[in-house]
Amino acid sequence: MAEHAPARRRFRLRPARIFTYAVLVLGAIIAVIPFVWMVLTSLKTYGEYALRDPWPKALTLVPYRDLPPSEDVVVDLQPVEEGTWGGAPRSAQPLLEGRILIERVTAPVAEQLARAGESPPLEVLILAADVEEEVEGYDTFYLTVGSRVIQQETVRVRLGETWKAPYYLNAPDMERWGPQLTVIDNDPDHFVVRKSWRPGVMLIFNYIKSWYEADFARYTWNSVRLTLITVVGVIVFSTLAAYAFARMNFPGRDALFTVFLATLMLPEVVTLIPNFAIVIQLDRFFEDVLHIENAWLNNWTALTIPFMASTFSIFLLRQFFAQIPDELYDAALIDGCGHLRFLLQVVLPLSKAPLMSVIVLNGIWSWNAFLWPLIVTSDETWRPITVGLSKFTMEAAAEVHLMMAGAAITIIPILILYFFTQKQFTEGIATTGLKG
Amino acid sequence: MTTTLARARPTKGQRRRRIREALEAYLFLSPATILLFVFGILPVGYAFYISLHRWRIQKGPFIGLENYFRLLGPPVNIAMVVGGIGLLIGAYYVWRGLFAQSGGWRLALRIALLGMLIIGGLTLVLGADGMLTYAAQERTVRQYLLSVLRTVFYSSGTVPFQLIFAFLLANLLFQQIRGRSFFRMLYFLTYITPTVATAAVWRATVFEPRQGLLNSLLSALGMAQENLPRWIMDPEGVVPFLAQWLHISLPDWVVRSPVLSGPSLAMVAVCIYNIWVFTGYNTVIYLAGLGAIPYELYEAAEIDGAGRWQLLRYVTLPLVSPTTYFLTLMGIIGTFKAVNHIYIMTQIVGLGGPQDTTTTAAIYIFKQFREGNRWGVASAAAFILLGIILLLTWIQNRVAEERVHYG
Repeated sequence: MAEHAPARRRFRLRPARIFTYAVLVLGAIIAVIPFVWMVLTSLKTYGEYALRDPWPKALTLVPYRDLPPSEDVVVDLQPVEEGTWGGAPRSAQPLLEGRILIERVTAPVAEQLARAGESPPLEVLILAADVEEEVEGYDTFYLTVGSRVIQQETVRVRLGETWKAPYYLNAPDMERWGPQLTVIDNDPDHFVVRKSWRPGVMLIFNYIKSWYEADFARYTWNSVRLTLITVVGVIVFSTLAAYAFARMNFPGRDALFTVFLATLMLPEVVTLIPNFAIVIQLDRFFEDVLHIENAWLNNWTALTIPFMASTFSIFLLRQFFAQIPDELYDAALIDGCGHLRFLLQVVLPLSKAPLMSVIVLNGIWSWNAFLWPLIVTSDETWRPITVGLSKFTMEAAAEVHLMMAGAAITIIPILILYFFTQKQFTEGIATTGLKG
Repeated sequence: MTTTLARARPTKGQRRRRIREALEAYLFLSPATILLFVFGILPVGYAFYISLHRWRIQKGPFIGLENYFRLLGPPVNIAMVVGGIGLLIGAYYVWRGLFAQSGGWRLALRIALLGMLIIGGLTLVLGADGMLTYAAQERTVRQYLLSVLRTVFYSSGTVPFQLIFAFLLANLLFQQIRGRSFFRMLYFLTYITPTVATAAVWRATVFEPRQGLLNSLLSALGMAQENLPRWIMDPEGVVPFLAQWLHISLPDWVVRSPVLSGPSLAMVAVCIYNIWVFTGYNTVIYLAGLGAIPYELYEAAEIDGAGRWQLLRYVTLPLVSPTTYFLTLMGIIGTFKAVNHIYIMTQIVGLGGPQDTTTTAAIYIFKQFREGNRWGVASAAAFILLGIILLLTWIQNRVAEERVHYG
């Protein structure tokens, strides 16, 4: 498309040129700026967001400058005196208590401490408790930072668990910039905590946090599976249908094609309610007659099968299949080749470009689908990432830095796909122009 | 392929082959057709069936058109509005028929046309007036009609802007410039990213009242802190807002009228987001439309001494009119069915909020369905919406017949 632009443009005056580029660049900036803002905000701490710091500290060198190496600290644990720890659980083994000193902190934490009139070293208090009977040694540890131990928030940590480093009142970003504390040995006689500074974790801390908080691992995996199933279904069904419309003669062909095209006009809100009712009925039918529970609701079936009849894809492929010369089929016919073999061995290898468009576009639509999945899923088993994100944007509405990280997690797979295949996108859309 | 065989006189073997081919074609088509029937066509009939019942999750008794009356008021008004529209459509066909006829028929047709126009127009106006009077007292009817009005605001606040921006960008991109595909890629980015994510981003970064990009820009341009709109959270109409900003005092009846006070600032925010999403998509389609214009036409026009503006006005604009027509139709249908981004943008102030000012017809249906569990009412509302879409499509098709040049 549009490859040979009029040659007369060569004689344009310079000011017109400048105007053209100015408008195009302005348009590009408007198109991109929300994404830039999203990424910047997703790298900020809550404090930076609230204080309107335009540039996140994570993108400067400040937090990463002269980080000390990781260090294993052996902690001397002593029995806790009765009544010192108010709400700690009781078990057969006595509670143990120990201390770690953090002599060095990163620049952002030092800054926060200075603002509160304090300075390192910070004292981290560890309480070891045994709550699960079958586990050897102490399995639950409460880490508390600071001198006023009892008033501080405590964080429960299990063996081998990281990121949940303790929270310190006067340095709220300690969790992010301070050392990550990991219990690596829970033997009471040889209790070891690892202090580590990891620049990678510091940089993408919000992503890690929202990944765990909103269970994005599950949602992403769900969306990947649903997208793959939908795309495979669309390819199989649309190729067959498009081939029949393009290259076969049968009564009612044009009428049927008109019906297919007419469905493109139907707004989703009209079919939403009856489709939900139909899915409920199907679910009940499968349960009563075939004894399969939840065959449709909360399952991949309802989330993918209705999208497999993609009129758009059929239309796009039909346009292309119709251009394949008849001589090829006649030649294949003489070799004793039927329609199915002709489709698989001749047509499909010739149609890589439109097939790629169909795959990419349907993949995007499937990944972005929101309303229908919202309605037919009531639990997490098959809920896609868009629905998960909408829940997260509601819950984390006040924590914009985490919300932006969640949005970025949803967008990034699409961006990667788009940058590698953007030609298929724009050309698939432009040649058929369908689907608003 | 088979067309060459079909031309000859069919022998027995050829007929058997044709039947076989038809059967094979039906087999090829069956999966897609069955799915399309079950999830695309059957639901339309089923929606109508649901709309005739009291249906709250479970099917209730048959109540005829009661759900429609609940949304639109007494049957008399509905009949008058529908009948008036029908008469006007009829008048259009009579008017078209005038050109085909001659002699005595013309006079009779002219009288009929005049009669249909007057009666149709009067019935429509009176019916609409009755409906509005009734809506003033009845809350459900008022809410539904307001949701339709907001959809009209939404369409008229997005489609023209999208088209103008896209046409401008496409024309600039169509010149011989460096990095055309780079720009095209960036513009299209907004369309392919998930709505749920971008709507959340806009809500939190652009429309955030305290430190959002838009309000930072407005205060940098000198707008006083207390005048800054609160965007998604602001139910104030755009007309009173602008009047206050420009220090014009408006009469009370303008501020209170839902039509004259214009869309709420929250709705304006939704429109701005919508324009951002779809301008890139429209640009790509316009680029394809521009690419289809034969270069010879420009050359011929230039030889005739056409200037740059004349080329645009008399060559480009008429020849991309099919694209414009298609994009207008798609844009309007798009605004009629938009739920996702309004859902995300307003989820913190309540779906369709604030004070229901972003409750478009589609959101109204969704709310009746999800929050009210009134499936019957929701389906009736959806069906009325479908009727409006069909009417708009019909009008646009007629306009297209007159104005669109299919090269």
